[in-house]
Amino acid sequence: MIGAFTGFGAFARFGAFARFDAVARFGAFLLVATVANAQSPVTFSRDVAPILFARCAPCHHPGGSAPFSLLTYESTKPRASLISAATRTRFMPPWKAEPVPGGWVGQSRLSDAEIGLLQRWVDGGAVEGDPRDLPSPPRIAPGWQLGKPDLVVSPAQAFTLPGGGTDVFRIFVIPLPVDRVRYVRGLEFRSGNPRVVHHANIRVDKTRASRRADEADPEAGYDGLISRSAMYPDGHFLGWTPGQAAPILPRGLAWRLEANSDLVVELHMQPSGKPEEVEPSIGLFFTDDPPERTPLMLRLGRQSIDIPPGEARYTTTDAFVLPVDVDVVAVQPHAHYRAREAHGTATLPDGTVRRLIDITDWDFRWQHVYRYAAPFTLPKGTRLAMQFVFDNSAGNPRNPDQPPARVRWGQRSRDEMGDLWIQALPKNDADLDTLERAFRPKVLAEDVFGYEREIEREPTDVALHDDVAQIYLQLGRPFEAVAHFEASARLNPASAATHFNLGTALVVAGRLDQAQAHFNEALSIRPGYPQALNNLGSIFLQRGDAGEALRHFREAIRLEPANVEALANLARALAASGDFTAAMDAVQRAAKLAPPEPLASSLREQLTLYRQRRTR
Amino acid sequence: MGEGMRRLITLFCAAFALASALAARAPETAGAPSDLRLPDLDNHLVDPFQTAPGAKAIVFLFVSVECPISNRYAPEMRRVHDAFAPRGVAFRLVYPNPAESPAMIRAHVKDYNLPGGALRDPKQALATFAQATITPEAAIYDVLNRRVYLGRIDDRYVSLGLERPAATRHDLQDALVATLAGTRVSAPTAPAVGCYIADFAR
Repeated sequence: MIGAFTGFGAFARFGAFARFDAVARFGAFLLVATVANAQSPVTFSRDVAPILFARCAPCHHPGGSAPFSLLTYESTKPRASLISAATRTRFMPPWKAEPVPGGWVGQSRLSDAEIGLLQRWVDGGAVEGDPRDLPSPPRIAPGWQLGKPDLVVSPAQAFTLPGGGTDVFRIFVIPLPVDRVRYVRGLEFRSGNPRVVHHANIRVDKTRASRRADEADPEAGYDGLISRSAMYPDGHFLGWTPGQAAPILPRGLAWRLEANSDLVVELHMQPSGKPEEVEPSIGLFFTDDPPERTPLMLRLGRQSIDIPPGEARYTTTDAFVLPVDVDVVAVQPHAHYRAREAHGTATLPDGTVRRLIDITDWDFRWQHVYRYAAPFTLPKGTRLAMQFVFDNSAGNPRNPDQPPARVRWGQRSRDEMGDLWIQALPKNDADLDTLERAFRPKVLAEDVFGYEREIEREPTDVALHDDVAQIYLQLGRPFEAVAHFEASARLNPASAATHFNLGTALVVAGRLDQAQAHFNEALSIRPGYPQALNNLGSIFLQRGDAGEALRHFREAIRLEPANVEALANLARALAASGDFTAAMDAVQRAAKLAPPEPLASSLREQLTLYRQRRTR
Repeated sequence: MGEGMRRLITLFCAAFALASALAARAPETAGAPSDLRLPDLDNHLVDPFQTAPGAKAIVFLFVSVECPISNRYAPEMRRVHDAFAPRGVAFRLVYPNPAESPAMIRAHVKDYNLPGGALRDPKQALATFAQATITPEAAIYDVLNRRVYLGRIDDRYVSLGLERPAATRHDLQDALVATLAGTRVSAPTAPAVGCYIADFAR
């Protein structure tokens, strides 16, 4: 009975599919037949303009991001063969991702029928036809596409791109005149020079690291690595590629912009043949509504990439299993010149495989953020996986090394990368926390590969040693952290901060004597260094010397009354010497400074403990 | 046979040079149409093959004002010009798009620092004669006005949207070296990538 039912079902499905397919083909045939049989040539006004207006005009309009307009017959005719060749090879429109169920936001890929129509138009002499057939051109408002921004910023000075040479990647740091926390619901990038600006990657740096790198380069912007502290804010993509404006975020999904942050804008520019001024502007749109949900950017990809010369199909894979349910909003594959394919899949707990993205003709020029028109939920236990394929042979014209050479992971365009960024939106903050805890060690362990690679190349870069040492501390690997801070101290022995960092890592590694020596060294370079006094006090406290500890903590607080850590430590030292009343007083002084978590809860625990001890 | 032929041509040229101080190149000895005239930027009709005394070859660079690939080659065209103009090679920019006015072309030459005198080819007469179909594309004519090279400037562009980070073959330069050395150009044609001259026909 069941067998018969299955058989029937299979038959029925097959039948339905066969019929549907036949109808579809017949339909396509009819369309062709209509045009051909009527002996009426394909015309611009009736047949071509609707395609150009819908798929090409978003960039190809006067003042748009493409080099010429396709809004009129007069501007289109002199490029008819170019349009034919560019669409036939799918160079244009630049949409590399295969279609997905539900579609992509802003998808501009042409259908085979549309491409065929354009070819026939050109082959038939690219005639105009009856202007009365022309649909009304799309209304493209000049200026900002998302409305009037609340804040518009630009780099302090324009950059002059030379006329010749290959692609240029450069990072511009723009301080934001924002003196309190704001919530951002939209960000629009305007290149200011569509001839040369090919794409922009935008991050936010809450520290001064990016600004320092920019200031160290005498010209506008800087040529170098993106600082670790420059991040996608709250798991939001802020990239721009021609024709792709990030939409205004839905209510409750704004991202938090800390006061006095910097925008870090990496521009990919292509020389035009003459020197060009580049001065982009960025519009920010604020809201008073804080986010209700916050996404997390899941980065899949290996930094151990190491491709032998001549290897035509080097594959890198990575995966992560979701510890909570998430909505998947968008993906962005990122790779350089030698990549050929990018794939992403989600394997659900029931074994169903959902394809997240497939690009079979990777072109590093088109680093789109691909947004799902219908975001979907992936349940806890889903395995996210990526696979990138690279061609490091001489047969790959994009290979920058001719003859091919060994290539390894690196941020610079001559190196390789292969990352799939997945924007995952958990249901609530508790789930976000679970997801972050599960994901962070994985991504940090991968970052370590990348840093060790960069340090191999730049062994005297102090910032690289400091960064990777911090990562090792976060990963609970203090001995490696000590090794890198030691390298940093050797390179920069006159820096008090470096000795302080090394001392701190040595404390974590349990090497208190050495730690003490480096804190003392930091204090001899910078007398009255409150953090060093505080940490030195902690060492005395650990050794049971409450008196010396108290002396150091009091001195740290005298020099910096708002040092919460020193106040909390003072309380510990006072409690250790039996003075719970004074300890409670110190804790309360610290709590008044409204410290962030987890310090705040730690203070509350201290207070409870001392109150119990005092009354005992 | 080939050796004898080459000597004959050499002798002939030497004789011609003596006879005419105006043109070391010999317009009427090969296929250049004697009646082909193109407007320069002052709308004077000129013979595109006319060169200064002593010119050993002439290069036509077919370009257009708004073609991105054509424009991106400006620095390379300048480089090749600066390397070979002192060695007796004449350069002409040829604009086959009739919609590009003398004023637009003047601004274009200035903005992109393009080399050589500019001619307009509004009916694509020279493009048709040279069989050039793309901007940017180069055609080299030797001292006997024989076309010895037609095609790309270098191999940086493989096709539309497929570009090498740097060229691996410098076809125009190699062809000029061979032409000046009096040897055969090993690859006399190479497909150019860019905008289509056919689209400029009215």
